[in-house]
Formats: sequence, C-alpha cells, structure tokens
Amino acid sequence: MPLKFDLSKCTGCKLCQLACSASHYQVFNPEKARLKMIHEYNDDGIRIASKSCILCKKCEKVCPVGAITNNGRWMIVDEDKCIGCGTCVDNCPTRIIFLNNDKSTICDLCGGDPQCIEWCPKGVISLRERKGVKA
Amino acid sequence: MNSLMGKILKVNLSNGSISRNDTPTEWVELYTGQKGLGSRILMEDVNPKTDPFSPENKVVLTTSVMGGTIVSCSSKLAITTKSPLSGTITDGSVGGHTGAELKYTGYDAVDITGRAGGLSYLYITDEKVEIRDAAFLKGLGTFDVDARLKEEVGDEELKVLAIGPAGENLVPYSCISSEKYRQLGRGGIAAVMGSKNLKAIAIRGKLDVSVNDLQGLLKYSKEVTVRDEVIATDNEIYDLGTSCLVDYSQESGLLPTNNFQEGTFEEAEKINGQSFKDVRKNKKGCFSCGIACGNYVVDGAASVEGPEYESIVLGGSSLGVGNREKVIEFNSVCDDLGLDTISAGGTIAYMMEATQKGIHDFGIRFGDAEAAIEMLTKIAYKDGIGAEAAMGSKALSEKYGGEEFAIQVKGLELPGYDPRGSWSMGIAYVSAPRGGCHMSAYPIAEEAWGELDPFTFEGKGKLVADMQNSQFCKFSMGVCDFWPIDDETLGRLFELTYGGEWPADRVYKTGERVFNLQRMFNIMAGFDRTEDKLPGRFHKELLKAGPPKDIAYTKEAFDKAMDEYYAYRGWDERGRPTVEKLEELGIEPKFIEAYKTVL
Ligand code: SF4
Ligand code: SF4
Ligand code: SF4
Repeated sequence: MPLKFDLSKCTGCKLCQLACSASHYQVFNPEKARLKMIHEYNDDGIRIASKSCILCKKCEKVCPVGAITNNGRWMIVDEDKCIGCGTCVDNCPTRIIFLNNDKSTICDLCGGDPQCIEWCPKGVISLRERKGVKA
Repeated sequence: MNSLMGKILKVNLSNGSISRNDTPTEWVELYTGQKGLGSRILMEDVNPKTDPFSPENKVVLTTSVMGGTIVSCSSKLAITTKSPLSGTITDGSVGGHTGAELKYTGYDAVDITGRAGGLSYLYITDEKVEIRDAAFLKGLGTFDVDARLKEEVGDEELKVLAIGPAGENLVPYSCISSEKYRQLGRGGIAAVMGSKNLKAIAIRGKLDVSVNDLQGLLKYSKEVTVRDEVIATDNEIYDLGTSCLVDYSQESGLLPTNNFQEGTFEEAEKINGQSFKDVRKNKKGCFSCGIACGNYVVDGAASVEGPEYESIVLGGSSLGVGNREKVIEFNSVCDDLGLDTISAGGTIAYMMEATQKGIHDFGIRFGDAEAAIEMLTKIAYKDGIGAEAAMGSKALSEKYGGEEFAIQVKGLELPGYDPRGSWSMGIAYVSAPRGGCHMSAYPIAEEAWGELDPFTFEGKGKLVADMQNSQFCKFSMGVCDFWPIDDETLGRLFELTYGGEWPADRVYKTGERVFNLQRMFNIMAGFDRTEDKLPGRFHKELLKAGPPKDIAYTKEAFDKAMDEYYAYRGWDERGRPTVEKLEELGIEPKFIEAYKTVL
C-alpha cells in the first residue's frame, strides 16, 4: 500500500530519505532514496511536496521485459530480468523511479517495515491502509 | 570505511588553478572538521598580519565528519577567514542543506585564495569544478542570485552561497546568504568574498557518505536524540524558535533597548515568540534535523525565515522598534542585501544614540523603523551617509565620539544580551576569538535563565572557559547549538561515524586546542588583553529596571574575573597562551615556533 503524507507537518529535514538510502544501500545519500521530499523557497513563498510510489502499476505495464510485478502491497523489480532501459522511469507519473547501477529502483516498503516512517521526526508519513491488506 | 570524504578542494582565483589534495588525517585527528579544520587550513599559509582584503587571505569552507549522515542537526557548513571588521580570525556557520550538499560533492573542505579578474562564481559538483563568469549577477540581491543560478544550472535543488551588494561593495559586516533566509559570516566574510570578485558558490553533490559503523550509528543516534528530546514536537525551541528568548530577556531585565540604554522594552510583547508564531506559515528544518527551529513568517508585505532572536533585538528593541512587520522587513532586507543584522542594527543604534545625545546628527532617531530600513540600503551601496555607517560602530565612534556606547567588542557589534543582567556573558563576549559574539559560550542559560547567581563573578572564568572548550569541539564536529549534547555523546557519535577512540576528555581537549589555535592567530595578528574589553557603558551606567536594577558591573570586578579566566586557561597575564599550554595541547611545533617570535 502506498505511503501517505501530512505535508503540513513536514520540515524538509530529509531524515526519511537518509533512512531509505541507509536501509537499502548502507550509505547516506538522499539521491538514492525511493521517496523525495521537496521543501524549497521560491518566488511565491515556499513549495512543499512529496514524491513517492502511488502503486498505479504503470511501470509494470510498460516494462518491455516483464521485470516489474507487484504483491498488492509494493512493486517488485526482478533485477536479473531488468535491462536498465529506463522505460519505467520515463512513464512513472510521480517520476520517482530511478536507475541505480542500471537497475530499476522502486519503493519496496522496506519489505514491510518502512524506515522512512520510522525515522520521520514529525509523524508526516504513514501507510494508506487498504481494506484487508496489511503491510 | 569512515565518513570523511578524503579530499580538500583548492582553488586559486588569481590564476584559475583548481586542485584536489588528500585531507591530512592528522588534521582531522587534531581539529576534526568545520571550525577546527577551517582554522587549521587558514593557519597553514595565511599570515595573521595579512590584509583581509588581499588575495592572500583565504575563504575556507569546511564540512564535518558527521555531515551528510543521519545524525541529527549535524550538517552545518562553516566558513573561516580573517575578518575585515575585527582583524581577528572569524568563522561563521550556516545550517540548512548547504553543508550536506557540499559533503556529497566529495570534499571535506574548499580552500579559496586569490582574486578573480572579473566577477565570478564557483560551481562545484561531484563531477566538476569550474570558475564561471558572474557578470550577469552583478549588483543583484542574494534572493535573485539564488533564483538566477538555479535557473542557469537548471536544478531547483542547487545550493547557493551568495553575497549581495553589501559584500560586493566591501561592507566589513556583510554576510553570506544561502537558501534565501539562512545567513553566515559575522565579521564580514562576504566582503572577503567580494574582494576576491567571488559573487557566489553554487553546489550540487550526489555522492554517498559511508560511516564507520552503520548499524551502531542508526541505533545510537536514534536513542540519544530521543533521550535528549531533539526529536520532539512539543519543545519550545521547536514551537517558537529562538524568538522565545524575547520573553526570557525581558523578564531578566537584559533585553537590549535603545542601544543598551535600558534592559526592558515596553513593547516587548509586540515582538515576542507568540507574536511571530501568530504569523507563521510553515516550520522549516535544517538537513537531518529533528528539531526544526526555523519558522517561515509572513506579515503584510514582509516575509522571512525567522526572525531569529538576535535580529528581533538588534532590528527591534535596540532601535526602539516594537513593530512586528517592520522587524521582519528589517531582517529580510538585510538578508537580501547581504548584511549582518546584528552589526547593521548595532551600528544604526549607535547612530541613533549619537543623534539623541547631540554628539553628531546622523538624522536618525530611536523608534524610526522606516529610517532604519532605508539606512540598510544606503549602507550596502555606501551611498551618502551609508558610506560612513558602513564603517561599523567602533570606527564611527572613534571618529565622532561616544565610544562608551558603541556596543561592540573588537569591532564586532554585540548580540542581544546585556551583560549587566548576566555577568558571565561579558567574559564570553571579550574572550570570543571573533569579537563580540554569543556563540563561543552561552553561560546565560545557566545564569540568568538557570540556577547560578547572575550577579557574581565567582567561578565564572572557569564556567565560561569550560563551556567554550566543549562548544568549540561541538562546532568542529558539526553539531548545532540547539542540541545540548554532552562531550561523551558527541565523542561516541564521532567514533561511530569516523572511528577511533573519542572519550569525553579527548572531545574537551580538542575544543580547547581549537580555541587556543584561534587565540594564537589573534595574538600573532597583534591582539592581546588590551582588546578584551567591554564598551564603557556597561561599567559606568546602571540599569534601572528588572533584576539587574542598580547593581554595578564594575571594571575592577570584571578585570579580576578576567585574571581568573586567563589563569584557568593557562595564559599569561596579558592573555596570551603560554608555550607550555600550546605544547600540552599538541599544537603543531611549526605554529609554536612562529608564535614564539611575537611573544
Ligand atoms: S513506481 Fe511509479 S509507475 Fe510504478 S507503480 Fe509506483 S508510481 Fe506507478
Ligand atoms: S518505505 Fe522504505 S523503500 Fe519505501 S520510501 Fe520509505 S524507506 Fe524507502
Ligand atoms: S523526515 Fe518527515 S519531516 Fe523530514 S523531510 Fe521527511 S517527511 Fe518531512
């Protein structure tokens, strides 16, 4: 099930992105996070937004080699099948997929224990529960 | 594996040379990062007697070992140089996301010397470093520079350190802005950039930061941030930011009012924490910070992130201004012009008092917010009377008189705490290496707002020196002031990110070493005890309200307290570190040899 955000509480600290990169790659790098928080001043004041997988499954449909599937709770990339063509990246409506070492990279809810939720200090992130589905 | 990136970027703007050298591990072991590493790099080849505006002076950017990691409030960026305002070493630090961004480019430090032929900006990414033409940014305010560079590079997440017209025009208290409303550089670091024809530094990094013990760090970091309530949504510093201090200062009778003539302000309630909370649009946190003290406020046509306590005082009560919208505007105009709110406010307050007393008519009076805000633009462009005001309160008072109410130490205007209401703040002000500043130690928290008697010097020399030593390590390791972290926790976090053994006494010693290194720089620049003095007002005039009412803060008692301070530090009676002290601290012999020649 997708992540949901209460943006009014977000401070833009990026601890969620750091937790995501640490849990998947054992490094700290917000660029390698599977979610992205935007918290930037602009001419109109401040822009606050989130990017994350909404579980629309478009990537699964467009993948030319069938590398992407889902388990009803998160998307699953078969790295052996993925050819790094980037079709999913270009077609993701939230533009949250990226290629890491030429492999498609999508939120896997940390296997059911979302680290971004665990680390957000302000309680911004939660799971959008769907009937009868548990993380 | 550790969290050091391992490289120092060296840029010479005069000949355009760019090189990358290994970060010497001995420097990290002795001085760690940020404040300490920046001071060490400056000492390497800047003669302390150098003219701050000469190409030989450096602008040194430093990150920290914990920067870019998940450790809360640990991703600040420091910049070190020789100050054109005080003539001392000075370093400033800024939160936000710029420090982490620099770390992700792969550099622990950026060491800039020389002077570019034409106005330039430095573009640093993990893939390339370029000195680029900045003619199109000439004369622009820092907000525009930020927007134009993001546009030029095509990346909304680009981090920009920009100077405004004040820096370009070499105002000695100009400062650097990043992410619009975050400032650094008391003592005119922006003017040093201006003298190098360096309008901005644009940064974007995408490299990984690894740590010594990831699982250990995740566990420990979580544990101590919860323990120390760094992650909490109900603490005051989260709720109100530093503006909560207005009520504290007012109650303690030390809220600078009308240029420190009084310590209570009739209109304090109009510019206190609650008042700014009423116009808050959003909270804003620095990178990796669980606290998030930042407030984005909008009032009428004025908006700013903040205003921080010091800006509220120096742009508000100390000018006799109790108007929230005007305080926000004062702050925002300073940010865009690239002026230090504290020094600009302190200088304008001096001018108001000189006018009030008939010493010299600067045509500006207490309570006149409009005139104060207009003065900022004149200062930044050195336009008419602004050219004089740009000199700062010390130089102005030397020219026109009224030195006892030029509220500065070593030329750096004082922040928002009257030392007559919390005595040890005076010791902190005069001993801070960069001049009148509250960041080297904050004993007011233990005194006026804590358990200790604020009106005695008993034991205060030791109190201030101990605080300074711990602070200087904390700021070298990169942790923000708002995490009241102890030396032991700091050391443990350092071990988990960098490695080695860092018990509390090594952390404390490291801070003491950095503090002494900065003092050595100042002694070699020609300073000694003679300059460790407060403006005459504090010793000669009594406050007339609140807890400090009619309590004398005498010069004799203060001098005696300073004797104790120097003795506790192992310095001589002229306030100079002894050679034995420096050797005990393990300061490198080549610096001690150079230092001996000026004793
Ligand atoms: S990764 Fe993008 S395309 Fe794939 S399911 Fe999630 S939101 Fe849809
Ligand atoms: S649930 Fe896990 S994988 Fe998904 S964004 Fe959060 S931390 Fe990253
Ligand atoms: S950790 Fe929470 S507060 Fe921080 S950026 Fe992420 S969602 Fe926002």
